[in-house]
Amino acid sequence: MSLSIAMLSPYSLGGAVAPATPATPVPSASSSAAAPQNDFAQTLASMAADAVSTIKAGESTAMAGMKGQASLQHVVQAVMQAEQTLHTVVAVRDKVVGAYLEISRMQI
Amino acid sequence: MSDPLLASINAAAHGLFAQSARMRVLSENIANAETTGKTPGADPYQRKIINFENVVDDANGVDMVEAGDISKDTAPFRTEYMPGHPAADDKGYVKLPNVDMTVELADMREASRGYTANTQVIKQARELVSMTIDLLRPSS
Repeated sequence: MSLSIAMLSPYSLGGAVAPATPATPVPSASSSAAAPQNDFAQTLASMAADAVSTIKAGESTAMAGMKGQASLQHVVQAVMQAEQTLHTVVAVRDKVVGAYLEISRMQI
Repeated sequence: MSDPLLASINAAAHGLFAQSARMRVLSENIANAETTGKTPGADPYQRKIINFENVVDDANGVDMVEAGDISKDTAPFRTEYMPGHPAADDKGYVKLPNVDMTVELADMREASRGYTANTQVIKQARELVSMTIDLLRPSS
Protein backbone atom coordinates (compact mmCIF):
# COMPACT_ATOMS: atom_id res chain seq x y z
CA MET A 1 0.00 0.00 0.00
CA SER A 2 1.36 3.40 -0.86
CA LEU A 3 1.13 6.40 1.38
CA SER A 4 -1.10 8.38 -0.92
CA ILE A 5 -1.49 11.38 1.31
CA ALA A 6 -2.03 13.66 -1.66
CA MET A 7 -5.55 12.30 -2.04
CA LEU A 8 -6.59 14.38 0.95
CA SER A 9 -6.04 17.49 -1.13
CA PRO A 10 -8.85 20.05 -1.09
CA TYR A 11 -9.51 19.44 -4.77
CA SER A 12 -10.57 15.85 -4.30
CA LEU A 13 -12.57 16.69 -1.17
CA GLY A 14 -14.30 19.56 -2.98
CA GLY A 15 -15.10 17.30 -5.90
CA ALA A 16 -17.01 14.93 -3.64
CA VAL A 17 -18.75 17.39 -1.36
CA ALA A 18 -19.75 20.38 -3.46
CA PRO A 19 -21.05 19.34 -6.88
CA ALA A 20 -23.99 21.73 -6.56
CA THR A 21 -23.38 23.39 -9.90
CA PRO A 22 -22.11 20.74 -12.26
CA ALA A 23 -21.79 23.19 -15.13
CA THR A 24 -18.86 25.00 -13.53
CA PRO A 25 -15.57 23.91 -15.02
CA VAL A 26 -13.57 21.75 -12.66
CA PRO A 27 -10.13 23.12 -11.76
CA SER A 28 -7.48 21.61 -13.97
CA ALA A 29 -5.51 20.30 -11.01
CA SER A 30 -8.39 18.04 -9.98
CA SER A 31 -8.95 16.56 -13.41
CA SER A 32 -5.27 15.78 -13.84
CA ALA A 33 -4.71 14.46 -10.31
CA ALA A 34 -7.62 12.00 -10.15
CA ALA A 35 -9.73 10.30 -12.76
CA PRO A 36 -13.18 11.90 -12.97
CA GLN A 37 -15.12 8.77 -12.02
CA ASN A 38 -12.71 8.00 -9.16
CA ASP A 39 -14.15 10.22 -6.46
CA PHE A 40 -13.02 10.65 -2.88
CA ALA A 41 -15.35 8.05 -1.38
CA GLN A 42 -14.19 5.42 -3.86
CA THR A 43 -10.57 6.25 -3.16
CA LEU A 44 -11.18 5.86 0.57
CA ALA A 45 -13.01 2.58 0.06
CA SER A 46 -10.26 1.06 -2.08
CA MET A 47 -7.64 2.24 0.38
CA ALA A 48 -9.56 0.65 3.27
CA ALA A 49 -9.86 -2.63 1.37
CA ASP A 50 -6.14 -2.50 0.65
CA ALA A 51 -5.40 -1.91 4.32
CA VAL A 52 -7.63 -4.78 5.44
CA SER A 53 -5.89 -7.18 3.06
CA THR A 54 -2.45 -6.04 4.29
CA ILE A 55 -3.45 -6.57 7.92
CA LYS A 56 -4.94 -9.97 7.11
CA ALA A 57 -1.72 -10.95 5.33
CA GLY A 58 0.22 -9.91 8.44
CA GLU A 59 -1.99 -12.05 10.64
CA SER A 60 -1.77 -15.12 8.42
CA THR A 61 2.01 -14.79 8.17
CA ALA A 62 2.22 -14.53 11.95
CA MET A 63 0.14 -17.72 12.23
CA ALA A 64 2.40 -19.48 9.75
CA GLY A 65 5.39 -18.32 11.79
CA MET A 66 3.89 -19.86 14.94
CA LYS A 67 3.57 -23.15 13.09
CA GLY A 68 7.16 -22.88 11.91
CA GLN A 69 6.21 -22.47 8.25
CA ALA A 70 7.47 -18.92 7.77
CA SER A 71 10.84 -17.45 8.60
CA LEU A 72 11.29 -14.97 11.42
CA GLN A 73 12.21 -12.25 8.95
CA HIS A 74 9.02 -12.72 6.93
CA VAL A 75 6.85 -12.66 10.04
CA VAL A 76 8.47 -9.50 11.36
CA GLN A 77 8.20 -7.78 7.99
CA ALA A 78 4.54 -8.69 7.50
CA VAL A 79 3.56 -7.67 11.03
CA MET A 80 5.50 -4.41 10.71
CA GLN A 81 3.75 -3.62 7.45
CA ALA A 82 0.36 -4.38 9.02
CA GLU A 83 1.20 -2.11 11.95
CA GLN A 84 2.20 0.74 9.68
CA THR A 85 -0.92 0.28 7.59
CA LEU A 86 -3.01 0.48 10.73
CA HIS A 87 -1.27 3.69 11.77
CA THR A 88 -1.90 5.18 8.33
CA VAL A 89 -5.56 4.20 8.41
CA VAL A 90 -6.03 5.64 11.88
CA ALA A 91 -4.38 8.90 10.88
CA VAL A 92 -6.44 9.22 7.70
CA ARG A 93 -9.64 8.36 9.60
CA ASP A 94 -8.92 11.04 12.20
CA LYS A 95 -8.34 13.53 9.43
CA VAL A 96 -11.56 12.64 7.59
CA VAL A 97 -13.67 12.69 10.75
CA GLY A 98 -12.12 16.03 11.61
CA ALA A 99 -13.06 17.37 8.19
CA TYR A 100 -16.69 16.28 8.59
CA LEU A 101 -16.85 17.80 12.07
CA GLU A 102 -15.45 20.99 10.66
CA ILE A 103 -18.20 21.04 8.01
CA SER A 104 -20.93 20.29 10.57
CA ARG A 105 -19.80 23.22 12.68
CA MET A 106 -20.17 25.57 9.76
CA GLN A 107 -22.77 28.33 10.22
CA ILE A 108 -25.77 28.10 7.90
CA MET B 1 3.61 -1.20 -3.17
CA SER B 2 5.02 1.70 -5.06
CA ASP B 3 6.15 3.65 -2.04
CA PRO B 4 9.97 3.90 -2.03
CA LEU B 5 10.23 3.69 1.76
CA LEU B 6 8.14 0.52 1.91
CA ALA B 7 10.14 -0.85 -1.02
CA SER B 8 13.38 -0.23 0.84
CA ILE B 9 11.99 -2.03 3.89
CA ASN B 10 11.14 -4.93 1.60
CA ALA B 11 14.62 -4.97 0.06
CA ALA B 12 16.24 -4.89 3.50
CA ALA B 13 14.01 -7.72 4.67
CA HIS B 14 15.22 -9.79 1.71
CA GLY B 15 18.76 -8.91 2.78
CA LEU B 16 18.02 -10.19 6.28
CA PHE B 17 16.76 -13.45 4.86
CA ALA B 18 19.80 -13.86 2.60
CA GLN B 19 22.23 -13.18 5.44
CA SER B 20 20.46 -15.68 7.66
CA ALA B 21 20.71 -18.28 4.88
CA ARG B 22 24.43 -17.55 4.70
CA MET B 23 24.64 -17.99 8.46
CA ARG B 24 22.95 -21.37 8.11
CA VAL B 25 25.43 -22.58 5.50
CA LEU B 26 28.50 -21.52 7.43
CA SER B 27 27.15 -23.01 10.63
CA GLU B 28 26.87 -26.29 8.73
CA ASN B 29 30.50 -25.87 7.68
CA ILE B 30 31.64 -25.22 11.25
CA ALA B 31 29.59 -28.08 12.65
CA ASN B 32 31.03 -30.50 10.10
CA ALA B 33 34.63 -29.26 10.34
CA GLU B 34 35.80 -32.69 11.52
CA THR B 35 33.31 -34.93 9.72
CA THR B 36 35.12 -37.76 7.96
CA GLY B 37 33.90 -40.55 5.73
CA LYS B 38 33.03 -44.00 7.08
CA THR B 39 34.68 -46.34 4.61
CA PRO B 40 38.41 -46.51 3.78
CA GLY B 41 39.43 -43.68 1.45
CA ALA B 42 35.95 -42.12 1.48
CA ASP B 43 35.55 -38.39 0.94
CA PRO B 44 34.79 -36.32 4.04
CA TYR B 45 32.32 -33.42 4.31
CA GLN B 46 32.87 -30.93 1.51
CA ARG B 47 32.70 -27.25 2.43
CA LYS B 48 29.57 -25.47 1.13
CA ILE B 49 29.58 -22.01 -0.43
CA ILE B 50 26.42 -19.89 -0.72
CA ASN B 51 25.88 -17.57 -3.67
CA PHE B 52 23.75 -14.45 -3.54
CA GLU B 53 21.59 -13.61 -6.53
CA ASN B 54 20.11 -10.37 -7.70
CA VAL B 55 16.35 -10.70 -8.15
CA VAL B 56 14.31 -7.87 -9.64
CA ASP B 57 10.87 -7.45 -8.16
CA ASP B 58 8.79 -6.98 -11.31
CA ALA B 59 5.99 -5.06 -9.61
CA ASN B 60 8.24 -2.30 -8.32
CA GLY B 61 11.49 -2.65 -10.23
CA VAL B 62 13.42 -3.02 -6.98
CA ASP B 63 16.60 -5.11 -6.97
CA MET B 64 16.29 -7.68 -4.20
CA VAL B 65 18.93 -10.08 -2.98
CA GLU B 66 18.16 -13.74 -2.66
CA ALA B 67 20.19 -16.72 -1.54
CA GLY B 68 20.88 -18.71 -4.69
CA ASP B 69 22.43 -22.10 -5.28
CA ILE B 70 24.66 -23.67 -2.66
CA SER B 71 27.82 -24.96 -4.33
CA LYS B 72 30.62 -27.17 -3.02
CA ASP B 73 34.16 -25.93 -2.41
CA THR B 74 36.52 -27.86 -4.71
CA ALA B 75 39.63 -27.13 -2.66
CA PRO B 76 41.68 -30.27 -1.77
CA PHE B 77 40.95 -32.03 1.51
CA ARG B 78 43.32 -31.99 4.45
CA THR B 79 44.88 -35.36 5.27
CA GLU B 80 46.03 -36.68 8.60
CA TYR B 81 47.87 -39.86 9.54
CA MET B 82 45.45 -41.96 11.62
CA PRO B 83 45.96 -45.64 10.74
CA GLY B 84 43.28 -46.92 13.14
CA HIS B 85 40.52 -44.73 11.73
CA PRO B 86 37.72 -46.46 9.75
CA ALA B 87 38.15 -43.96 6.90
CA ALA B 88 41.93 -44.41 6.67
CA ASP B 89 43.24 -45.47 3.25
CA ASP B 90 45.84 -48.22 2.73
CA LYS B 91 48.68 -45.84 3.68
CA GLY B 92 46.92 -44.83 6.91
CA TYR B 93 45.87 -41.33 5.87
CA VAL B 94 42.38 -39.99 6.62
CA LYS B 95 40.84 -37.21 4.52
CA LEU B 96 39.47 -34.36 6.63
CA PRO B 97 37.02 -31.67 5.40
CA ASN B 98 38.39 -28.63 3.52
CA VAL B 99 36.86 -26.31 6.13
CA ASP B 100 39.12 -23.59 7.48
CA MET B 101 37.82 -22.39 10.86
CA THR B 102 39.41 -18.94 10.44
CA VAL B 103 37.66 -18.36 7.12
CA GLU B 104 34.33 -19.52 8.55
CA LEU B 105 34.60 -17.26 11.58
CA ALA B 106 35.48 -14.27 9.39
CA ASP B 107 32.52 -15.11 7.16
CA MET B 108 30.26 -15.32 10.20
CA ARG B 109 31.37 -11.89 11.36
CA GLU B 110 30.63 -10.54 7.89
CA ALA B 111 27.16 -12.11 7.84
CA SER B 112 26.46 -10.61 11.24
CA ARG B 113 27.54 -7.16 10.07
CA GLY B 114 25.36 -7.46 6.98
CA TYR B 115 22.38 -8.49 9.08
CA THR B 116 22.89 -5.55 11.41
CA ALA B 117 23.15 -3.13 8.49
CA ASN B 118 19.87 -4.39 7.05
CA THR B 119 18.09 -4.08 10.40
CA GLN B 120 19.35 -0.50 10.63
CA VAL B 121 17.91 0.23 7.17
CA ILE B 122 14.54 -1.14 8.29
CA LYS B 123 14.65 0.87 11.49
CA GLN B 124 15.46 4.10 9.66
CA ALA B 125 12.82 3.60 6.94
CA ARG B 126 10.22 2.78 9.59
CA GLU B 127 11.04 5.98 11.42
CA LEU B 128 10.67 8.01 8.24
CA VAL B 129 7.31 6.39 7.48
CA SER B 130 6.10 7.10 11.00
CA MET B 131 7.24 10.71 10.73
CA THR B 132 5.32 11.07 7.48
CA ILE B 133 2.14 9.61 8.97
CA ASP B 134 2.51 11.88 11.97
CA LEU B 135 2.20 14.85 9.64
CA LEU B 136 -1.52 14.01 9.41
CA ARG B 137 -2.03 14.24 13.13
CA PRO B 138 -3.10 17.59 14.53
CA SER B 139 -0.16 19.30 16.18
CA SER B 140 -1.06 20.08 19.76
